[in-house]
Formats: sequence, C-alpha cells, structure tokens
Amino acid sequence: MIGKVVRTPKSLFRTGLRAGFAVGVLMAGVAAAPAHAVETRTFVIGWFSEATYSQDNDCVGGINPNIDDQYLKNLADLGYTPSQIEEMAKKELDGENSPIRGLMTSRARVDGKPANPYAYPAFVVDPKLKSSTSNLAYGFDLDGKPGPVEDPQTRQKGIDNEFARALGCMRSFRGSLESRPTYYAWAWGQLKDSMPAWVVTISAESLSKDGDVTVTFDRAFEHLRSNADGSPRADATYRIDPDPRSHNVLHGKLKGKELTFDTPVDFRLMQNPLMAPMEFKMTKAKLRLTLKDDGSISGIVGGYMPWSEFYLGLGTQGPGTEYCITGDIPGIYYLLKKFADADPDPKTGQNRAISAAYYLEAVPAFIASESAQATQHAPARE
Amino acid sequence: MKTTARLLSGAAFTALSLGAALAADAPAEVDTSTVARRLTADEYRTIITDVFGPTIELGGRFEPELRVKGLLAVGTTHVSVTSAGMEQYDVMARAIANQVVDAKHRDLIPCRPANDKAADDACTGTFMAKVGRLLYRRPLTDAELKTYVGAARVATAETKDYWNGLSMSLAAMLSSPKFLFRQVAIVPEPGKPGQWRMEAHAKAQQLSFFLWNAGPDLELLAAAERGDLDTKKGLAKQVDRMMASSRVEAGVRAFFIDNLGFDEFDTLTKDAALFPKFSAQAAADAQEQTLKTIVDLLLTHKGDYRDVFTTKKTFLTQELASIYKVPLVNDGPNGAPDTWVPFEFSKDDPRGGILTQVAFTALHSPPGRGSPTLRGKALREVLLCQKVPAPPAAVKFDIVQDTNNPLYKTARERLKAHATNPVCAGCHKIIDPMGLALENFDGAGAYRLTENGVPIDTSGSLDGVNFTNSAELGKAIHDNPASSSCLVSRLSSYATGRPIDTGMPWAQALLKNFSAGGYKLPDLMRDIALSDDFFSVTPPDTKAAEAAAPNQPAR
Repeated sequence: MIGKVVRTPKSLFRTGLRAGFAVGVLMAGVAAAPAHAVETRTFVIGWFSEATYSQDNDCVGGINPNIDDQYLKNLADLGYTPSQIEEMAKKELDGENSPIRGLMTSRARVDGKPANPYAYPAFVVDPKLKSSTSNLAYGFDLDGKPGPVEDPQTRQKGIDNEFARALGCMRSFRGSLESRPTYYAWAWGQLKDSMPAWVVTISAESLSKDGDVTVTFDRAFEHLRSNADGSPRADATYRIDPDPRSHNVLHGKLKGKELTFDTPVDFRLMQNPLMAPMEFKMTKAKLRLTLKDDGSISGIVGGYMPWSEFYLGLGTQGPGTEYCITGDIPGIYYLLKKFADADPDPKTGQNRAISAAYYLEAVPAFIASESAQATQHAPARE
Repeated sequence: MKTTARLLSGAAFTALSLGAALAADAPAEVDTSTVARRLTADEYRTIITDVFGPTIELGGRFEPELRVKGLLAVGTTHVSVTSAGMEQYDVMARAIANQVVDAKHRDLIPCRPANDKAADDACTGTFMAKVGRLLYRRPLTDAELKTYVGAARVATAETKDYWNGLSMSLAAMLSSPKFLFRQVAIVPEPGKPGQWRMEAHAKAQQLSFFLWNAGPDLELLAAAERGDLDTKKGLAKQVDRMMASSRVEAGVRAFFIDNLGFDEFDTLTKDAALFPKFSAQAAADAQEQTLKTIVDLLLTHKGDYRDVFTTKKTFLTQELASIYKVPLVNDGPNGAPDTWVPFEFSKDDPRGGILTQVAFTALHSPPGRGSPTLRGKALREVLLCQKVPAPPAAVKFDIVQDTNNPLYKTARERLKAHATNPVCAGCHKIIDPMGLALENFDGAGAYRLTENGVPIDTSGSLDGVNFTNSAELGKAIHDNPASSSCLVSRLSSYATGRPIDTGMPWAQALLKNFSAGGYKLPDLMRDIALSDDFFSVTPPDTKAAEAAAPNQPAR
C-alpha cells in the first residue's frame, strides 16, 4: 500500500501544479500569518549578502591596495626601513617561507610583543584604509534624520548605510546586486552548504491585490538544496526549526509587486559561525521585497548591525582569508569602528552598531511542519 | 612473472579466438555450436557478486552493447568481442582474481595449500571446480579442470607463490568465452532420433538469466544435473521456486531497463541553463522511479500491466519531488542520500503512468527542448511494437529545432510547418499526435502550461481514439491491444534472445493467457518459462559441421 503525502484540496493542488510553481504553507504554529490570510507563498533564501552599489570614482584616490601592497605599507608601520622592505619583497610574498607573511600574522603589538593581529586588531597600527565617498547606497532611513545618501532603487534620501561606506573601497566588498562581491560569493558559498537554510513565508489576503501583508523569516532543518550548477533549487521542501531565535515576523504593505515593511523590528537568523557571526542580527530592521515574474523574490533588509560580531566573523578566519579574500582584516576593524553610527557604549561612547543593508534572493519552496508532513498550497505563477 | 602473465593472457585470448573449438571439451553428445549470447555488463556484475561477494570491484570497461529489434538482449546473440574489448575483459579478470585470492577475500577459497610457495593441485582443483561450476553455469569437464589446475601449477612455479598462481588460473577462467558467453548447448532428444533439445544446464541458465538476471544458483544447477528440468513437473517446481524468490525483481528490472532503453541515460545530456534541476542525481532517480513504479505495481501488487500507463502511485526522492513540484520531506540528516518515499498523485493530477514520469519525457528529448516526435516514436516503437521509418536523408530540421521562432511558438506549430514537406508528413502523422499529448512536460520532464507564452494544445488521437491530454493518452495506450501484445513480444524476445513477433503462434498463445489472467506480469513470465518454445533449439547442421571440422566425430 503506497502511503500519501498529505495534500490540500485538489482544486488547489491542481492549480498549484499547473501554475508552474507550487508553494508551501507554514504549519505547526510557527506561522504568524493573519487569521484572515488566504494566500501564502513560501521561499528559501538562495543568496544573501551585503547590498552593494559600487560605482566608478566612489573611492577618492582609488580603492584600497591589494594585500601584497598593503602588507608592504604595514611593514613600514611596523618600523621597517624602505631598504628592508625592498629586500623582503624580493622573496616569496605568501606561504610558510615568506618573511612578510610571518611578520603580518604577528603584526599586533601587545605590551610590545608580537601578537595575533586578527584577535587583537586594536593593537595593530591603523592602516587607515580608504572608505567610500558615494552618496548612493541601498537601505532605509533608520534614524529619521535627513542625510545625503540616496537609495538607487527607491530614490529615498536619508539612507543609513555606513557599512557600505566603511567597506566600499575594499576590493572584495565591491560589487552590485547583479555582480556579486567576491567576499560574499565565497562566504555565502560556504554558508549555504554548511548550515540550515533560511526560509521566508509571505501571507496576505491576496497577493494579487494591494493590502496588508505579513512576512516571516525562519531557519529550516534542511540545508539549501542546489541545482547541478550550484544555483538554489526551486520547489524543494524544508521543515521549519521552531527555535524562536530565528523566528522573525514583519507586518507591512503590498502594493503591486512591491512589499514594504517599515515598522522597525529586531531581526535575527542563526547561521554557521564558521565564517560569520553565530547569528545575523539587526536592530530596528526594515525590509522591502519584490515579487518577481519568475516566481522568486528579492529584496533588501536594513538595520543596525553589531559591527564587532561581523568583525569576529572575519577575524576568526585569519591570514588565509585575509590574503586570498578579504584584504587587511585589522584595517576593516578600524573602518567598522570608525563608521559605526548607533548604540553608543555608555562608558566609552564608542558606537557598537553600524547601519547596513543586505540583499536577498529567494526561490519558491515547500515548507512543511516540523512533524514532516508536507502540505501544498496555492499557486504562484504561469 | 611477466612471462607467465603473458602466457595465461595469451591462452585466454587464444581460447576466445577459437570459440568454435570449445566444443572439443564438451561431452561428445553435446553440441555447443548453436547459439552464444554474450553476457551483458549487468549479468557479468551479478555473477561476480553472486560467486565472490559484493566487495569485489571489477575495474574495467565493458564492450558496448547492441540493440537489435528493440532489445539489447536480442543484440547479445549478434555481438562478439573485439581485441580492445578482450583486453578489458582481461583487465577485469585479473583484477577480480587478484581480489579473490587476497587476504581480505581468501576465505572464499575452501582449502589451504600445504605450502604457500608451491603448487597444490588438490586445493586448486577443489576451488576451481567449485567456482567453475558457477562461472560456466555447468560443471567443468575433466579436461577443463585439468587445464586450469595445470595452469595454476605452472604459474605458481614461475612466481613461487601459490596464490599468485591460483589468481592467474582464475583470471584465465574469467577471460574464457565459456564464462563470457551464454552458450546454448543442445543434446539429442532421447527416444526421438533426429530431434534435439536444450541441454539441462543451458536450460538452467536460460531460466536464471530470464527470471533473475543472474546465473543459476546451486539448487537450479542441481536440478539440471538430476534431470528435473527435462520434466514438466521438475521444471515447474524450479520456475515456481524462482518466481517466489525476491530475486525475480532483478529479472523484472533488467527487462524493463532493456525494453525502455534506459542504457541511453548513460549518454543523456541536458542544457543546464535551461533545465538546471536535471542533475546527474535526478537522472538516476528518474530511472529508479520508473522501475520502482513498475515493480511495485506488477510484482508487489501483482497488478494489471496496462496500469503502468495510468497509475497514480509512484515513489519519489526529494531531488525528483522538486522537479514534480510536490512537497517531500527528507527525514535523513543533511548530506545523507535522499530517501525514497511512496507517493500518490491526486486523481486529477496531470501526472499518471510512466509516460508522464521524468524518465520517459526526459530520455526522449534532445538536450535543449522537448520532442513530440522522439516521444511519439518511442511510444510507437517501444510500447506498441510498431515500426517507425527513419527520417529520409537531407531533411531539414531547422524549423523544428528553432524554439525561438516568433512564427511558431509551440512545438505543434513548428511540426505543422515542418510537415508541410510531404516526405516528412507520413511519419509525423503517426507519431506526432501521441508525442504532442506529452508537451505539457518540458525537455527535462517538468510540467508546464505554455510554451513561449502560448497555451499548449495536447489533444490528439491514437488509432482512432481521441484524447486531450497526457492522462487520456495513457488511458488510450492502456486500452490499446497493441500495448499488451507488444509486452508479450518484447518479454519473450528478451527471454530467448531472438525476435518473437506479435503474430507468431507462441506469442499469440502467450497473449491469450496473459489477457485471460488479467495481464499479470508474473503469470506471463511463468508462462514463458514453462513454454516449450522458451527452450526450443535449432538442430545442428551436421553436414556443415563436418565440413568445417572434418576431424571431429559426426554427431
């Protein structure tokens, strides 16, 4: 006797299949959809990165040097003479036998002694890396104050995104929504295969007409399923982890295909601490999403992010990542610290959070209850 | 060592080259010159696993197989072994033999030599007789056993290593055509001068390869040696035993893998930009889905064969479920292989029957699009046993292949334009209507309602029966008498290795029973296995044999 997956009424099933993209429904009490919601679409996040909008000439004097050249500058900061630096530069720049590499991995000075620069970035001489001067950045007006920065999508001014300014001249953090920054292409590639996926549920009375809408973000039990080419696989099934730490509910408005969530919320998603903070965390977060014709969604989430946690995600990766991916990690520490713009420490006055915006893309997915009974719901496209 | 290796390799090759001379080892009243079917790759693997266990790795490549009259099984009587292929068989034989005698597997050998550095004919003889009976699917003759024992002795003397010597002798046995080919020996029918019948061991392997896709087990060999297979009662007892075994599933799978042409998955490619979900895993799962569907319906539930074209019951993995766009939870840990889950499509779901499964729709499609023509041709030829002529030379396919032509947005429109050529129209008329019914499935088997924004029309007709969609096409094939007669033809051809056309008396008789019994596949298999025609042989041409081998005694 063949068992059955529980299904919704056949009219919905039929429509769902013929619509091309089937979607799931959130179950087991984890959904926060309004009681009157009759249409729900579910997705799995297939791409998540800083929302970058790098433009020519947005770094005065050019972008920051590549790491080999930066290391030579750092040597000068450590007190080496030009001739000494020149002599070292003739030798291997990377690898175990590199004198420069050895000096750089201990370029912090604690009580005058060499120390790990990634664990003690404040004990490294600030390399004074350049930051972006652009007044174009994705994000939201988080503080309600006027400002020069404008969102290139919404044209809204007063955008708070000092994170983009801080890292905007780092090579591996430059890019656009279409041309993905090197760091995130690498980091997300690691994260998506090593941690449970993040799922999104959108509920409204009708997603075909303007009105109230609710979106939830949760973490799944399953990892993101990928296609043969590495792209996120649509229509796979995920179960929601009931851990409340990764449960986020935002209420907003749907107009056309644009969803906006302007009521600030605290936003948290647990992630793999291997190369990132243990959780992606924003306070006073806002969100906007677009329902795309191919059934997927994309959008921007912006808020204040604890910059030291982001730094630790980089710092724990150490010299290999610094050399191959990120560029000068202690330098990034100083940039983040400099441009942090919220949550001042009561004692020192140093801001502990930095305004930021992240970009997400998500493909349709089925969402099943924790008890593993999958249910199919409403149509999406075609 | 090298000398010995060359010696044995050469011996094996010479033996193969002189295939006709093999009969010289056989008992005088046995004729082995009638039919030889080369083992398929799957049969080879199964025998090695059965004899030496599943941990033995083959380590070589098989000769390409040949499809004749729609079946690789029929092609096995048409193929030989090329010199390059023989090298591969030799590589595999050595790899297998080396593993069999290594410390990990040495327990397979039922005795130990008195001295590891010297020959031990008694131990060698015990082992070679035991495995030889299973590899050759009959007992070794005294001459054969003596040859292999002698070869091991020579090799041991050369290498000063008993196990090495044994390995080389075993490798020679595995390279022999007596192993690589299923030889159908015949013997005179007792009490019926001038009449011949299949020798009992040949009957045993005929049965086991058909029902289990494997060589005979010890019980079947014993039955052959007792003469049980030469009696109706004894034959029926063995057939019933084999049909009751779980191993019959392997036989059913092997037939449908062959009949549905799943070997073509080995070379199937899809444009990843157009069909990103069609991974290698999806392709493997798709085949397995269809096979599981068939086995579940026909064996587990002993259902009506015709229902394979309409059944809503199947099995899915998470990889497939995302192609079918249905929810399916994987209970295993992340990174673990997908699990198979029984699944039933709803009554009004467009999916139903194996024709709507990914395996069929994707296999009969080019890399970048679906193809009503290829699908229709497969339906006609594979499932209805109807011959579709090859396209005439110099036909232009540009209209059909251009899926971006704004004038012809759907496959139906493109084919209509293409078939204005009267040379093409005749065939397209009989294959396209069936294939167009499956146009809701793209080139990788995913469901769609439109092509280039235009709604897809899936209506058509089959032999006067109209249908509007794939479900109705499945029903039309279910009800078409050709589908069941085709199965009878294909299965009996598969079993015997020779084409059995639907009009032949044996096929007619089988069909009559198949129909009367409710189209149950196990009943049909049993009916075939108990048929005289299943074991029928062609009497030897004694005059030709004498002319070819004047020094051999006439039979």
